[in-house]
Amino acid sequence: MSTSDHRLLDRLGGDYVDRETIEGLLFAAPYLIVFVVFLAVPLVYGLYMSFFEWNFLNPDQSEFVGLENYRTIIADGRFHTALLQTFYFVFLTVPAMTVLGVVMALGVNRGIKGTRFLQFAYFVPYVTTVSIVGLLWVQMYGANGVFTQYTAWLFGRVLSDTSLAMPGLALTTVWWQVGFFFAILLAARQSVPEHLYEAAKLDGAGTIRMTWDITIPQMKNSIIFCVIAGTILQFQVFGQPFVMTDGGPAGSTETAVFYLYELGFRTFDLGYGAAVGYVIMVILIAISLVNYYVIEETVN
Amino acid sequence: MSLRNPTEHDFEFDVPAIETLATYVTAYGLGILFLIPLYQMFVLSITPTDELGSFSWFPEDVTFAYWSWVLFEQPLIYRWIFNTLLIATVTTLLVLVFDSLIAFSLTRLEWPGRKLVLGIIVSSFMVPAFVNIIPLFQVINQLGMMNSYWAVILPFTAGPLGVFLLYQFFRDIPEELEEAARMDGFSTFRIYAQIILPLSVPILSALGLFTFVWSWNQFLWPLIVLNSDAMYTIPIGAVTLQSVYGEFANRLMTMLAIVSLPLFIVFLLFQEKLISSVQLQGTTG
Repeated sequence: MSTSDHRLLDRLGGDYVDRETIEGLLFAAPYLIVFVVFLAVPLVYGLYMSFFEWNFLNPDQSEFVGLENYRTIIADGRFHTALLQTFYFVFLTVPAMTVLGVVMALGVNRGIKGTRFLQFAYFVPYVTTVSIVGLLWVQMYGANGVFTQYTAWLFGRVLSDTSLAMPGLALTTVWWQVGFFFAILLAARQSVPEHLYEAAKLDGAGTIRMTWDITIPQMKNSIIFCVIAGTILQFQVFGQPFVMTDGGPAGSTETAVFYLYELGFRTFDLGYGAAVGYVIMVILIAISLVNYYVIEETVN
Repeated sequence: MSLRNPTEHDFEFDVPAIETLATYVTAYGLGILFLIPLYQMFVLSITPTDELGSFSWFPEDVTFAYWSWVLFEQPLIYRWIFNTLLIATVTTLLVLVFDSLIAFSLTRLEWPGRKLVLGIIVSSFMVPAFVNIIPLFQVINQLGMMNSYWAVILPFTAGPLGVFLLYQFFRDIPEELEEAARMDGFSTFRIYAQIILPLSVPILSALGLFTFVWSWNQFLWPLIVLNSDAMYTIPIGAVTLQSVYGEFANRLMTMLAIVSLPLFIVFLLFQEKLISSVQLQGTTG
């Protein structure tokens, strides 16, 4: 900020507003503008839209319908199925990633050789974009893919089976996202104080005992963080069904956000879509709060 | 070490040896399993079409025809890499500037309402981004930004994560430093630019790297606002390849391999830093 800016500030400020307030607002302004325009306004506007039969081409001609959209949600079987399938997906992925993440973190921390290679292998899928991940796995699940090659006798073609498609997406997701769990749990494992183990060793405790009695309890907060953050993130699953199955077969991989996308950008049911978005948000906030209080209870 | 009783040695050696072996088998077993999809991508990209009819770990013949086909005859790929690079770079710069400015303001300057502003920003963490896609689409449309780089960049910069991370970091920088600087006649902006920012390089680089990778990889939002070949980012463009080259796994995999290379290189260069930037989120959450 040049001196002329300062003179400008002083003049603007005058006697009424002190200079620190003006500077404070100027520093805050760039972020506040994008925050208001691209986050706060849409959030309020979405609530407004949810009370209309929204006309996509001529928003002015939208018809006010009150709570009609919300009443429709209560009877919308497709939405209920999508919600249940989303919970199923979370249930398939989050516990698996937590356990696998702990195993990976403990393994890498045991002073074995080649940890840089292992970290690369576990973490590199996480920095790959979902469309590349999805197309890779479509190939692996395909007729000549490596997964089908070794498991066809047991599963057949995973992505064309209504009861196996969702677990198939879950497996892909575990591969893709477990790096996040691994990174956080590795940091947690590395911050467990060594002296705890020395005392236990003197008492003759074995590795399994020490893992169970010291390591896991010491990592508890991070494990809880992974479960909560993982639940919220996985609840928002979209790319995998979009790229790999298009919600099929027979709608069996349609998730909450996938349905939201369908409403907003395929059938252009924007008012109803906005209402569905709000309901999903309320459900997610409720899950976070329940998680939060349950954990407060158990930790204290 | 010299005069150890061999029996006792064997006895003591057993359990740790088995544990070490089990650790190696598990850790490397998982590591190798995890690399299979990427291995498949590269192997298929050099497999001739007449060998695609059946599965094999190693093709009998190897061809780089598809690599040269993509590299020399598919200019659209370069356009997508350029778009993605541009969007990710501008997003990262804007996030670093916007977030550090407001975090500085919230921690270093007294102004009425700043606590409320902080409270609102932090509580917006609760709002999952996808809730906004439908109204945000309307806003972008009204602003005439459809199918532009800004439509992808600006909504991303509104996210609260960086503000929160930097707020916590700036708060813990001791006040004495800037008091001394004020005595020396530093302006507020110089305190921000010459004292606070240099002290925050580690967190700024972590946030920057993280933002770059996530903006590079974002999928749902660009899918909605970008609608022409020439504007696509890599994640969106890649999906369109499936319908065109889905029949030819080798062509498709070559394209995927090439478009994923830039980020693999970033990852190899910054592996430790990137992992620690993810860990950072665990400690703030």
